[in-house]
Amino acid sequence: MNLKPRRMTAALTALLLSFAAPAAQPTLTVYTYDSFTSDWGPGPKVKQAFEARCDCELELVGLEDGVSILNRIRLEGENTRADLLLGIDTNLTAEARATGLFEAHGITFDNSTLPRPWRDELFLPYDYGYFAFVYNRERLDEPPMSLHQLVDDNNGPTLLIQDPRTSTPGLGLLLWVRKVYGDRAGEAWAKLAPRIVTVSKGWSEAYGLFLKGEADMVLSYTTSPAYHMIAENDSRFAAARFEEGHYQQIEVAGMLAGSGQKRLARDFLRFMVSEEFQQIIPTTNWMFPAALANSKLPAEFSQLVDPSPSLLFDDEEVMKRRGAWIDEWLEVMSR
Amino acid sequence: MNPRALPAGLVLGLLAILVVAPLAGLLSLGGLQLNDPRELQFWHSAYIQRVLVFSLWQALLSTICSVLPAILVARSLALQPVFPLRALLLRLFALPLVVPSVVAVMAMVSVYGAGGWIPLGRSLYGINGILLAHVFFNLPLAVRLLLPYWQAIPRHHWQLAAQLGMNAGQRWRLLEWPALREGLPGVLLLVFMLCLVSFAVVLTLGGGPRSTTLEVAIYQSLRFDFNPSRAVALALLQLALCVVVATLTQRLQRLPEVEIGLDPAPVGIRPVFSTFNLVLIALAAIYVGMPLLSMLIDALSGPWFEVLTETRLWQSIANTLIIGLSAALLSVAAGWFLLRYSASLAFEGRGLAARWIELAGSVVYVVPPLVIGTGMFVLLSSWADVFGWVYPIVIAVNALMGLPFVIRCLGPPMRQNHARYERLCRSLALAGWNRFRYLEWPLLRRPLGLAAGLVAALAMGDLGVIALFGTPESATLSLLIYQQLGAYLVSEATVTALMLLGVCLAAFWLLERGIGGGDRA
Repeated sequence: MNLKPRRMTAALTALLLSFAAPAAQPTLTVYTYDSFTSDWGPGPKVKQAFEARCDCELELVGLEDGVSILNRIRLEGENTRADLLLGIDTNLTAEARATGLFEAHGITFDNSTLPRPWRDELFLPYDYGYFAFVYNRERLDEPPMSLHQLVDDNNGPTLLIQDPRTSTPGLGLLLWVRKVYGDRAGEAWAKLAPRIVTVSKGWSEAYGLFLKGEADMVLSYTTSPAYHMIAENDSRFAAARFEEGHYQQIEVAGMLAGSGQKRLARDFLRFMVSEEFQQIIPTTNWMFPAALANSKLPAEFSQLVDPSPSLLFDDEEVMKRRGAWIDEWLEVMSR
Repeated sequence: MNPRALPAGLVLGLLAILVVAPLAGLLSLGGLQLNDPRELQFWHSAYIQRVLVFSLWQALLSTICSVLPAILVARSLALQPVFPLRALLLRLFALPLVVPSVVAVMAMVSVYGAGGWIPLGRSLYGINGILLAHVFFNLPLAVRLLLPYWQAIPRHHWQLAAQLGMNAGQRWRLLEWPALREGLPGVLLLVFMLCLVSFAVVLTLGGGPRSTTLEVAIYQSLRFDFNPSRAVALALLQLALCVVVATLTQRLQRLPEVEIGLDPAPVGIRPVFSTFNLVLIALAAIYVGMPLLSMLIDALSGPWFEVLTETRLWQSIANTLIIGLSAALLSVAAGWFLLRYSASLAFEGRGLAARWIELAGSVVYVVPPLVIGTGMFVLLSSWADVFGWVYPIVIAVNALMGLPFVIRCLGPPMRQNHARYERLCRSLALAGWNRFRYLEWPLLRRPLGLAAGLVAALAMGDLGVIALFGTPESATLSLLIYQQLGAYLVSEATVTALMLLGVCLAAFWLLERGIGGGDRA
């Protein structure tokens, strides 16, 4: 997820900085996703801010998405040149832990603003968000007030969603429905299916189709309307608040046990939960920072829906049961 | 030994290394766990059967819907060799190949979606949408590939047909169809392969998981499931499927019973103004043009200043051109050596061996770049810094993916050239560089130019491998488009997409002109 076009000055600055790096400095290599490293993502600002204090070079390697980051580490194993991973979410942390390649971060995360206590010793969160159905106010007057209402109303809004086999939000919705409906999730999907216009490969396709007016609602994030308000000055878009609560996605970073730069890696993790880094997140990654007081968020963020209670499965449970849940979803959706 | 065997053997060896080694690399991670109950369950599930049946069904249907109309349109274009903007139209027909799938989906929706020019509503999503998109991609490609077969019919045949007072039906049966029959099976196979591996288009316009292709299953097993051995097995299954279809289409093939001319002359009949032909051409132009036009319209209102002043855009354009042109040259060179050998085999009466060589060069297309790229990664990462290898790998894999296009464009003319001039060359001792310079280059440069243009377009629109390795410096235009779309920057992405089309058109023009030596096609 990401941000706003940056202008020429920023690009030139980045260019000049890249010439300025002397060779003798230590390099900290971070594998992340490419929307983090892109010009309009947090990457350039984070790199500049961290390098100003670390006397090192921060190398951000942008891969396709969180799943690619994890798979890259699985492929490289102990030969990896990454010191840190940044950008996997809580649906993947159990699998990342199972690789045995990570080391405890050892950081007291006492300034957390996450809506739940954080106890993971290996992974440290940097931001979080909630899945939500986003709609256009001019097109949909009365959005459903709950997931149950959305599911039960046969004449309800049409939907665009993503495929849980290929997309993180798609998997998020699957878990959301499972959390609310438990073992009756299949029945809920059967009722929803006729109103699902299409199931796309990734977030971009679904959101693009939504902006073209192909359906009433699209699965996205509660923060999506903030992008339209801040970057486009457009307040037509809103996320529907569901009474049952919204499924949460927490994005984390972790350091590798085989890293030769552990001191720097820990410095980076401390920097990551500091105010300087956290302030970059809202309008570049369009997520909620994991350690920043609400009062320091952009004003538009206060207009976003209240997603409480936040819903989340234990990561071990996701790892164990995801396959069966996806199979059930496929079965219902293919009828 | 045939002196042409060595370079061809080298190419085949490289092909094998490029395909087999990565598959082996992936298997080395886990091995085929065919006894694992979960694997057995997967292979016996209704899911995999459904996926297989659907993959085949949509690919066959898409192929028929693309190639049959393409025959009519190519015929009209051949019989109507002069009309305004004809050259431009033919160049536009190479463009859909470069359109990244997510952009194509948006363009199809602009035309046929709820708020589109021809609103189909919900009925767009399903087999309709899949067919509309696949015909958009493949009809123009098939037209470009089929058109040369009409031009290969010698002028005096047309004259004879006219003297004998043949009507259109008789000309078709006695002249055109026999000439077409040599190339049609290859074109059918190529389009079938392109539709078989289609993924984002099928999933998104297909309306949901009912429309799941093997390619989705491969992607899923290599990503979320991280089950490399299953991905390899699925990729091999896809390959096997293609070999079966290839052997079936080859039964259609007959070497031409009519004498084939290689002089690059337009069809030897006087252009007759035919309303029917012009209407057909206009319909095809409108069909292919509408989605492209929608991209243009979307882009015109886009934030040009912001996009054009980003240094990353220019870097991406440079990267895209380097990758596209290098892959095109590499692919054409590899295809050349392969085909030179297979043509000489065919000349010696070993047609079956010749066909298998061409088939081997073609079907590797359906081994997904994600599988090849990941496998290469496994192999390379243990002894090299993979980031230094991004360009060579991306270029090599794209050249590999372009090989079936080269074989399609270049195979038949090279075979004919060989059959016609081999004896003469032997008696004149014309060989090596001189033979290339005085005989092969002048007669084959047009199909060479077309082949290079198509491969360049394909490589420039490709996303598979570069996304897998991606580092910030190696972005291409298509990757940039995906990144912009992933960051809410929809209008920026429309501008970048138009830039991609422009760069592709320029590269195509350059290759067709520079290599092909002229506008006439």
